[in-house]
Amino acid sequence: MDIIRRNNVTVTGNPNGRTVVLAHGFGCDQNMWRLTVPALSDDYRVVLFDYVGSGRADASAFSEERYASLDGYAQDVVDVCEALDLDDAVFVGHSVSAMIGVLAAARVPERIGALVMVGPSPRYIDDEDYRGGFSAADIDELLDSLESNYLGWSAVMAPVIMGNPERPELGDELKNSFCATDPDMARVFARTTFLSDSRDDLKTVSVPTLVLECTQDVIAPREVGAFVHRSIPGSTLVTLEATGHCPHLSAPEATNAAIRSFLTAL
Amino acid sequence: MSPLKIIRRDAETGPVLEVVGDLDFVHAPELREHISRLVVPPGRRLVLDLAGLEFCDSSGITALIAAHSHAQAARAEVVLVAVPAHTRRILHMVGLDQIFTLHPDSDKATRS
Amino acid sequence: MMCSAGEQPDPHGAGDGGVSHAAFASLLEDSVEELYENAPCGYLSTLMDGTVAKINETLLTWLDLRREEVVGRMRFSDLLSVGGKLYHETHFAPLLRMQGEISGIALEMRQSGGGRIPVLVSSAVKHGTTGEPLLIRTTVFDARDRRAYEEELLRGRKVAEEARRRAEADRARLQHALAVLQQSLLPDTLPAIPGVEAATHYHTASPDQLGGDFYDVFPVDGKRFGFFLGDVCGKGPEAAAVTSLTRYTLRAAAVHDPDPVATLTTLNKVLHERYTGSGDPRFCTAVFGTLEPDAATGRMRVHLASGGHPPALVVRADGTVDSLHTPGGLLVGVLPAARFVTTTAVLAPGDTLLLYTDGLTEARTGSDRTSLFGEEALRGFVAAHAGRAAKDLVEALINLLEGFGDGLDDDTALLALGIPADRTAPDGR
Repeated sequence: MDIIRRNNVTVTGNPNGRTVVLAHGFGCDQNMWRLTVPALSDDYRVVLFDYVGSGRADASAFSEERYASLDGYAQDVVDVCEALDLDDAVFVGHSVSAMIGVLAAARVPERIGALVMVGPSPRYIDDEDYRGGFSAADIDELLDSLESNYLGWSAVMAPVIMGNPERPELGDELKNSFCATDPDMARVFARTTFLSDSRDDLKTVSVPTLVLECTQDVIAPREVGAFVHRSIPGSTLVTLEATGHCPHLSAPEATNAAIRSFLTAL
Repeated sequence: MSPLKIIRRDAETGPVLEVVGDLDFVHAPELREHISRLVVPPGRRLVLDLAGLEFCDSSGITALIAAHSHAQAARAEVVLVAVPAHTRRILHMVGLDQIFTLHPDSDKATRS
Repeated sequence: MMCSAGEQPDPHGAGDGGVSHAAFASLLEDSVEELYENAPCGYLSTLMDGTVAKINETLLTWLDLRREEVVGRMRFSDLLSVGGKLYHETHFAPLLRMQGEISGIALEMRQSGGGRIPVLVSSAVKHGTTGEPLLIRTTVFDARDRRAYEEELLRGRKVAEEARRRAEADRARLQHALAVLQQSLLPDTLPAIPGVEAATHYHTASPDQLGGDFYDVFPVDGKRFGFFLGDVCGKGPEAAAVTSLTRYTLRAAAVHDPDPVATLTTLNKVLHERYTGSGDPRFCTAVFGTLEPDAATGRMRVHLASGGHPPALVVRADGTVDSLHTPGGLLVGVLPAARFVTTTAVLAPGDTLLLYTDGLTEARTGSDRTSLFGEEALRGFVAAHAGRAAKDLVEALINLLEGFGDGLDDDTALLALGIPADRTAPDGR
């Protein structure tokens, strides 16, 4: 199988630099990293990809069974690492991808030599003493809202994305080319993401790890950042002065600086 | 597919049904239905005029046999008139040309 | 209603009338501020970190909040339901950052009392003179009616999908049941007949419909074997019931008396008695025969009778084809006492006896339903395969059937009984 095509893999940056893999989280695709890539490409070889079911990955490769667990997404990462024959790469994962990176690193330790976790959460739902930030009912509500967005989202998004509502015929081509993914596949990703519990997997991490959190993040609150940091011995925690769940978009300078200083110290 | 048309008239010899169109899986039951409601007096003759028959498959043959049984039960006879070549070939194949009386034209068949 | 054009009020108020003037004057009095506060949609301005800087009266009323609770204290995402919040963080905010604007996204806002309002949200980033983002302007439309409509559509879609899934499952179950049933109407394996090679094929026209063709081969006594092949008129479960009755009747009758005419006569009686007067007369065509080896000559004597069935063919090793006509053999089950006609043949090494149902000869070869393959073409086809083993002949016929495509819309059964060619003979193959 052609993994490069399947996962819409893009390789850019300095071909002689250490490889940095940038992995998007739930809700978007590799475009999320567009403010990060310029900050890395002088010194690092940058690999971007879309998980199957997101962005411009090959939708025909999607299987509800495979992607019903994070292991399926981790296999995408392993496949990409093997297709490019990566050795000792740095894996930068946003949100749920941070946990996917943990699973992938455990499978191919020789290929992934360091982890950057941007807004990670190993468990979104509160559980006894653990504060994930959401009740089970909250998550049900999210999954419901994804369902109800089916009509509004997919139909309305395309013209906006292309910024050319006068030519709606171009919409079809671009509908799946950006963050608006197939609603059915997005629903599977959402379910897998928000119902996952990877707390035990954190203990398997044995590579240098940077945990990036934001001061205000409704999806991964600071208690969760502290939990991840605590669970990975030797990890570094950096709290960015940023709001929201996407500091690489809302506070790109600070985010890029933190990633670069971690990479330089490796 | 041409639909089936059944035109009934009464001759001296008894009822005459003119069967026009297709006797196939879809339409043959119409003929069977029609015949089951038909009263043929004992000793008279039921004439089926097939000059306008365009197609006849095994369902059609079954309908013709039903006509035969119906007439026999009433102690009447059945005569097939102007049977098209293709249907004649089938009747011959299944031996039914022995049990039906075949007439080339309707005039003769309705003269007692 | 009668109404002349001259009585229509002038919409522009250019003609007469104090009413239009008054309306126009009140429009002028409607200040921009008044429009902002009480517009029929919600307005909201936030700093880049989401903190609400300005919010209009309409939105406050919808959310049942006071201005001082919101401005400077809450972020836009705080006004959303949990689902809306997650959606905002994972889709809305990243896209807005990347594109500078986003429109028509369905979200849910939270009322202070805990209720939720479905809304459609559009946002645009306002940039400063040097291009730096300054604030986010957001409009909010009440989508309660629209949501109700969408929910109706979604519910309809789910119901339809469920119905489709169930229908597909039912169809698969039915097809499986039909396939099993169809298989049960045919022999699992054919007995080994010394000196004879047998091959069969059954083509099912539709997986949704039971076919009415049948065949079988079986030993009747120490030296003879019986065989039959036929076609029950009609399709479906009723036809299958007749097929089953026919098959077991023929086998039982042959045990009692394997004479072909006696066997078909028994079947005729059984079918006629069972179905005449039922209002649903059922018939079949059938060939029944016996095979008897002649030890002295190494040949095989065939004795068969037919009721309304197309003639069996004997494909000679030298390429000639004999049709085994049985003129006058009547469709089985029509009359209480039917006449059946017998014929005989001798099969020499290299000869094959072929029985078939009319699905083969009635296959359409043209676009209209009157150009049929026919018996003549079949004779030509088998002649070209003379001298081959029975299974090769059946194999060739299977290819022929496949080539008919949609022209083959009836079930078709094939039974070939061949005497392997004598390999020691000079002209043997």
